[in-house]
Amino acid sequence: MVHPLHIKCVLTEIEFSDSDLVKQIRLGNRPAEAELFRRMAPRIRLYGLRHLRNQHAADDLVQHVLITTLEALRAGRVRESDKLASFVLGSCRMTVLDLRRNTQRKQRLLEQFGADLLAPMPISMPDVDRNQLANCVQKLKERERAVIVMSFYDEETSADVSRFLGVSEANLRVIRHRAIHQLRGCMEVVA
Amino acid sequence: MSCVKPLDATILADYWLALLPKSEEETVEEHLFACDECGARLEEVIALGDAIRDLARQGSLLMIVSDTFLGRIAKEDLHVREYAPTVGGSIACTVTSEDDFLIGRLTADLSGAKRVDLSLCDERGIERLRLADIPFNSEAGSVAFQQSITYARAAPSETMIARLVTLDEAGSEHLLGEYTFRHSRTLPGPGAW
Repeated sequence: MVHPLHIKCVLTEIEFSDSDLVKQIRLGNRPAEAELFRRMAPRIRLYGLRHLRNQHAADDLVQHVLITTLEALRAGRVRESDKLASFVLGSCRMTVLDLRRNTQRKQRLLEQFGADLLAPMPISMPDVDRNQLANCVQKLKERERAVIVMSFYDEETSADVSRFLGVSEANLRVIRHRAIHQLRGCMEVVA
Repeated sequence: MSCVKPLDATILADYWLALLPKSEEETVEEHLFACDECGARLEEVIALGDAIRDLARQGSLLMIVSDTFLGRIAKEDLHVREYAPTVGGSIACTVTSEDDFLIGRLTADLSGAKRVDLSLCDERGIERLRLADIPFNSEAGSVAFQQSITYARAAPSETMIARLVTLDEAGSEHLLGEYTFRHSRTLPGPGAW
């Protein structure tokens, strides 16, 4: 049996594979659990932002999926240790479907696993220079600017935007992609 | 560890905007759950999208807008001031501190037009700015352009002539309509220029 203190040291120095994490968590190693949270929480959060469009809901998703995953790992229910990411993604998909129905279960699990361990991680999205962005958006061609604004502000469907522009959805995709590349180039971000 | 097959920002933008086919979306998600490098790029796309949304809400972009866009603004309780001069006509206009968006609606017969430009001219008719190849719906019968509210708030009393022109295949311009906006400054203080 590996001493937990030894594992803690190793975890801070070496990139553990998902498979290693699964094995260590099954052995009851707490630092491995912390590493699981550090690794998976940002990925779950992005999934949550994409599908729930709300930061608090995304944080709830992170909490719920992590405790579900931890519960499964501790109980040895993740049999294919190299499929940890797939397991977490699957949990995300299922949880988004019934997130609101599980409030009671979530509370019980929080009591069991500890709310401090599952506190929402600090949010740190990249900064965007708003003045530079305004200049870059204004430099776009008219159709590109319209597509970018309609897509990101309004989140209009491709059908709506293509009707407004009088172009096919395939052409719209080309215009949108060109505009995103130009914007990122103008903002000096590597595409 | 460096990603061997990074997802392009355009694909990530389409993913964020829910524009990918289901199968492609699932492939992207599987990649994102195994790749923090692409996750970081997605965060950049999200941040860019959020900033664009904020920028659009400020009403400071000079651009052509859709009625759907204007409807969405109205739902957000943002105040839109819209002027719709007739073709060849003139309209008195202003902007107040209560206004969030300033829209000019230009009616014109756009049927058959392949390309339309919006030319913005001073009171002498000299072109100061051109929005080339603007988006338009040939069946709509009008174009709505957003004047920067920041510009309008700072502007002194002045006259602007807007011209919608269509270009044929030979590159020759044909006037679709001319519209005169006579702006009176009503905000306190002098204009910025």
